[in-house]
Amino acid sequence: MAYIELENVSFCYPGQSRPVLREINLSILNKGVTAITGANGSGKTTLSKLLTGILLPTKGRIKLNGQLLTSLTLTQIGRQIGYVFQNPDKQLFCETVEEEIAFGVRNLGLPPDQAAQKVREVMDYFELTRHAQAYPLSLSAGEKRRLALAAVFALEPGLLLLDEPTTGLDPYRKKLLGDYLDKMLAAGRGVVLISHDQKFINRYATRLMGLQDGQFIEE
Amino acid sequence: MDAIVVDRLSCRYQAAGRQILKDISFKVAPGEIVALIGLSGCGKSTLCLCLGGIIPHYLGGELTGQVLVNGKDTREYRVAQLALEVGLVFQDPDTQLFAPTVEDEIAFAPENLCLPAEEVGTRVNKVLDTLGISDLRKTNPNHLSGGQKHLVAMGAVLALEPSILALDEVMAQLDPAGKKTINKILVDLRRQGKTILMVEHDPETVSIADRVLVLEEGRLIKDGRAVTVLGEWESMLRC
Repeated sequence: MAYIELENVSFCYPGQSRPVLREINLSILNKGVTAITGANGSGKTTLSKLLTGILLPTKGRIKLNGQLLTSLTLTQIGRQIGYVFQNPDKQLFCETVEEEIAFGVRNLGLPPDQAAQKVREVMDYFELTRHAQAYPLSLSAGEKRRLALAAVFALEPGLLLLDEPTTGLDPYRKKLLGDYLDKMLAAGRGVVLISHDQKFINRYATRLMGLQDGQFIEE
Repeated sequence: MDAIVVDRLSCRYQAAGRQILKDISFKVAPGEIVALIGLSGCGKSTLCLCLGGIIPHYLGGELTGQVLVNGKDTREYRVAQLALEVGLVFQDPDTQLFAPTVEDEIAFAPENLCLPAEEVGTRVNKVLDTLGISDLRKTNPNHLSGGQKHLVAMGAVLALEPSILALDEVMAQLDPAGKKTINKILVDLRRQGKTILMVEHDPETVSIADRVLVLEEGRLIKDGRAVTVLGEWESMLRC
């Protein structure tokens, strides 16, 4: 069964006449890397907000694990899809880097020692340990990006939805991210990757979808 | 006269905080494109903020050494005066956009220079056309995608026609067509004698630069021709 299923989904922002997405049908499995490409303004980020229930379709319906997205709370969706926003500033809200990563992990209900272990692991992997007590918004853009990724990856959701995850990452950190994706894939999880980074897409994508004028034009 | 002179620049955000830039010196001649690369957190954006005078005027912090843009010491001039010399495009366009429409956003700075309305109109049209965003003219910048926002932020700065541009990862969210447009604009601007300092990670974009500077932990560790420096840096990172 598809992890996410879109049936005739259209979306139009309030007050605008032209729909951003038109009659989209799409199945996404929780394995492999589905890359979504398209020109600036083609609706990639809008699609990601629909997949996570942040926006509701104007027409059509979306199912997550067979359940209608509209019947689930954002928390229930968030446990199944880990969404890393295009702009990490919109995702970070805690007082320290460590707290930021710990927040979601604690909310999963893990025992404290296991939660702490998980936080240490991802903080170490994404080379954020030296910033553990830093205020997240005082970090550089690349560091904020790594923190947003780390905080979501720590939750180990079934599907990762990454909106331009390589923006602001230097080549070395890009490779770290790629290696982590390989690890997630090996553990049987799926990734939806929205990106313009052709090199990164070529290396990791197992399925390539192109958005144009609100519809998928290629697969 | 050099367009940019950075002389023994050190900087930190708080007096007791971590030193972000450590004793950096370099010069950029008019008409040069210089790329600034380095691992995230090494001080690239901080250096851009120093060029525009945001540090120390707005963000405070402790700055030693000297930064001159077209001969003007950034400590002695107001940010508004420095903006006429250096057009700064931030890494996050959301921090830069505030007007209700794309057109207003681009017209704002030339209007504040008290240019005649006709000249403002001409500049806005030219910028919209060059960047290929004329169809977004009446759109609210908040409704744009990440890449489109960066094009508008870039347009707002180009409309000021500064002689120096400091661009902080402006290509990061652009699609291939947008990247090509900006690359072409940068090469055209160089032909017109403008000076460009750009922070970038993408080797393809960096390749248009005449020189590449590499920062590591706040220190300038390399300064040389793009082909040489890029090769050395990539093999250093082994990726």
